[in-house]
Parts: sequence; C-alpha cells; structure tokens
Amino acid sequence: MRNEIELEGIIEDYLNGKLSETERVAFEQLRKTDPVVDHKVVAHKVFLESMGDYANIMDLKAKMDRAHAEIDVDTLTETLRPHPSYFVNIWRKNKAAIGVAASFILLTIVTVYSIQQNTKQIGSVELVSRELTKIKNSQSSLIRIINSKNTPKDVKPANFGGTGFALTANGYLLTNLHVVDGADSVYVQDNKGESYKAKVVRTDSQYDLAILKIIDPSFSPLSNLPYRLKQNGIGMGDVVYTFGFPKDDTVFGQGYVSSKTGYNGDTTQYQVAIPVNPGNSGGPLFDHQGNIIGVISAKEKQVDGATFAVKSKYIQEALNSIPNDSLGKKVAFNKRNSLQGLSRNKQLEKIQDYVFMIKVYK
Amino acid sequence: MSNKLSSSVPTDREVVLGILNDSEDTLNKLYTGYFPMVLQFILNNNGDEDDAKDVYQEGIIVLYNKIKGGNFELSSKLKTYIYSVCRRIWLKKLSQESRKTNNISDFEDIMAVEVDLEQHEEKDQQFDKMNDALLHLGEPCKTIIQDFYINGLSMQDICEKFGYTNTDNAKTQKYKCLQRLKKLFFQV
Repeated sequence: MRNEIELEGIIEDYLNGKLSETERVAFEQLRKTDPVVDHKVVAHKVFLESMGDYANIMDLKAKMDRAHAEIDVDTLTETLRPHPSYFVNIWRKNKAAIGVAASFILLTIVTVYSIQQNTKQIGSVELVSRELTKIKNSQSSLIRIINSKNTPKDVKPANFGGTGFALTANGYLLTNLHVVDGADSVYVQDNKGESYKAKVVRTDSQYDLAILKIIDPSFSPLSNLPYRLKQNGIGMGDVVYTFGFPKDDTVFGQGYVSSKTGYNGDTTQYQVAIPVNPGNSGGPLFDHQGNIIGVISAKEKQVDGATFAVKSKYIQEALNSIPNDSLGKKVAFNKRNSLQGLSRNKQLEKIQDYVFMIKVYK
Repeated sequence: MSNKLSSSVPTDREVVLGILNDSEDTLNKLYTGYFPMVLQFILNNNGDEDDAKDVYQEGIIVLYNKIKGGNFELSSKLKTYIYSVCRRIWLKKLSQESRKTNNISDFEDIMAVEVDLEQHEEKDQQFDKMNDALLHLGEPCKTIIQDFYINGLSMQDICEKFGYTNTDNAKTQKYKCLQRLKKLFFQV
C-alpha cells in the first residue's frame, strides 16, 4: 500500500517533469523492465490529459457563464424571436424562394409582353399602288409620245399606276385588284413604251388579284412565256427578286423570303425582304431560277423591308376559279421554264417583255 | 433580415491571439459579440434561449479547441465558422430529440464544419466520462481531486482544508480517491 502510494507519486512527478535527472533515468529503466509500471504510467498519462481537458473546459464554461450573465438575454430574445405575424414569418423563412418567384413572374411578364409586341405587327399595310404625280406623268407621256408608234388613245395622264405580268401569250395579265379597283379605264404599257388598252376581266377580292385582258387591236401576241408558276418548295431565306414599275421604267429589286406568312400571320402571303415602292403592286415575285412564286401586293408601313406577296398557289386558284369560257381560252402556264440556269441579267432581259406597267384612270 | 450586432466584436485575428493567450477579456467580447446571432438562429428554429446558451457555449468550446490545437486557419470569417458550428450542433440536437424543423431559417453564410465536429464529439465524450466519473465519486473525494488536479492546491493545502492530521494521511486519502476515480473513468 505504502509502496503503491509512493509509486503513484513518482509517476505523477515523472509525468509532470518534476523528477531530477538521475531519478528520471532510473525510473525510465524501471518502466522498461517492469511492464506493470509502464502500463500504470500510460494509464495515468491518459487520465491526466483527460483531467486537464476537463479542467480547461470547466474553466471555459465558468468564464462563459460569467460572460453570459452580462448579456441581457430577455431583451435580446424579445427582439430576435420569430415574429408573431404569419406573413412576416413566411417572408423570413422563404425570402429566397419568394425572391426567385417574384423575379420569375417579372421575367414572364416582360417576356410575354415582348412576345405580344413581336407577334402583333404594329405597322399597317400600305398597298403599293402608285399615285402618279402630274409632273412625272406629263414627262412620261411625252416620252411615250415620242417613242410610241401609235398615238395613244388617251392623252390624259394616268392617276394610278401598278405593275402586271403576262399570264398568257395572247394578252391576259395578272395584277393586284387594288391597282385597278374602281378604274374608269386601264392601259398597260410594255417596256418599249407601247401602251395598250386593257379591260378587267376577272377580280378576286379574297386574294387581291385581278386579271386583265389587252383589248387593243394594235397588240400583237407575245412569244411563249419564259417563266412558269412554281407553287411550292419556297422556304425562308430563299433568294427572290421582283420586277416592277415604281417609276416609269422597270426597276429590279432583290431580297429573300423572310417569313412564310404575311401580315399578321396571313398564310396566303409570304413576307419578303425587298425594298418596294408605290408602283410595285402586282409585280411578279421570282425565285432565283425565274419561277413565279408570288405577286407583290403590299408592304408594311413603319417597317423597312417587310413586303408581302400573295403566294403563287392562290394565283393558280384564282385562275382555276375563272370559267374557261370567260377567258376564251384556258389559261395555262408553260410547263417548261426557259429561264432556268440563265444568269440574272439574261433572265431579266427575257422577263422584261412580259412585265407591264398598269396605268389606271379613275 | 439579420439584426445588426450591437456590441463591438473584436477582429478575427484579435480573437485568435486572445484565445491563444488565454485572455478572458477577448473571450468576453467574443462571447457577447456573437451570441445574438446564435440566439436568433435557435429562436427561429424551434429552440429557446437556454438551448441557445448550451449550443453557443459548445460552439465556442469547439472554436477554442481548434485554436488551441494549433491547426486553425482563418479560411473564412470567424462569424461564419461559429454560426456554422452552432447550426450543426443545434440541428443534431433537434434530430436527436426528434423535434421537427421543416424549414431551417438561416441568417448567415454556412461553411462545412463536419470534420471539426467529429473531433469535438470525441473530446466531448471524454469530458462526459470524466464528468460522470467525478459525479459518481462522491464527497469528499470529488473535492479533494478537483482541488488537487483542477484548482492546483498542494497536498499541504488539502491537508489543512480537510483537517487531516498529516500530509501522509491526506496523500493516502487522495490515493484512494484517485484509484476509485480512475476505475470509474476507465471502466465507463
């Protein structure tokens, strides 16, 4: 018992480093030789360390308790406790979610609003028939007089102008209804400056199309039509061009199909990006091979380069709806397109004989 | 909606240095500085102010051990560290007591503190073992051991305090107490 107590004391002194050098060496020798003593040393070391940690934490806790006593916990609790209001709680707990939801709603509103803005085309359609000015007309009629072999039957300047193109070699032309609507008399002028009297033989208000027939005795039938009607296979981005009379001479305009629907999603029309001017109405719209794919009919006001063309399918429909006898002869397009493969200016050279300026007197 | 901490909080470096130097002043400032933050978290997550005190003190102990352990790097703000530790401790307590928190309301940034807490739990077990052992030891042994090992009294002081006739008697008494305590401690 006595020895045990002394041994314990020595171990403690040893672990605390209180033994003298000689004592320490002797004790370490004892540890090596006696495993029981060694075990006691290790166990006591662990114990002392635990005790030390325990002491430290107890000390820390005591200090923290003192610090805690300084804090006015009740007041703090009152200010920090969850707000009794249900809504404030919801807000506090779901701040992030509410924020996300709110921004999502905002985004949706903005998106929907802008989509509506986009789908609803703002501009109104402007029909591109041309109101000829007096001055221009007096000039053009002068030129016509000089160039013309026949004296025009009507020397009065035309009020309105548009473009038309030959449907048949024997003098049937297609133009827009709005060009010839309400006309007292209609004259057509070819690219050589020859004017011929024409009459409206058929109108189709649904697609804004009108068929004219040249009734002038001086008109000699054209040679076979170089182009044909192409009814499908036109896609967005296809290069197209038109040919018309926004002034008293033919004007070429090139662009591309920008949408397969027309004004406000009108499926009977294409939207094409070609700059057109009053006078282009009724002009043919060709694809790059020289096939007719539509008739220029309108452009959108306030929007640049948004031109609308009636699809060729409806040209055919309009033609089909016309009784054969009213046209005298069945209107049939050439099955062959002689323009295919030609360069653009060769195509134009051939086409220009079949595109007419429509002059309307009201 | 984090309430502004009213009291002046020492900088993170000051805290670390203060803890290493056992500065009680630093501890006080640290303690009062961040308590409202933890109190707010606990109050808003199904706890009361006593829970807050326990959790906060445990959190501070974790911080102390980490700094004292010498492997503390200020990789984030001290505030974030304390908040994350206390948050973890509280969520664990809640799940142990199977008290429900559907939505944890957070008021601060959070960082990963799982490794530190595992180490802390080991230490905490040792602490609890020692605490239990001392509780079971009974008087006067408990006081003698605490006076000698914790309060650093000499055998002479203990001899006088407990009225032993000589230090040898006191030593014998202390030896017996220590043997019992060790037995309790290592046995649990």
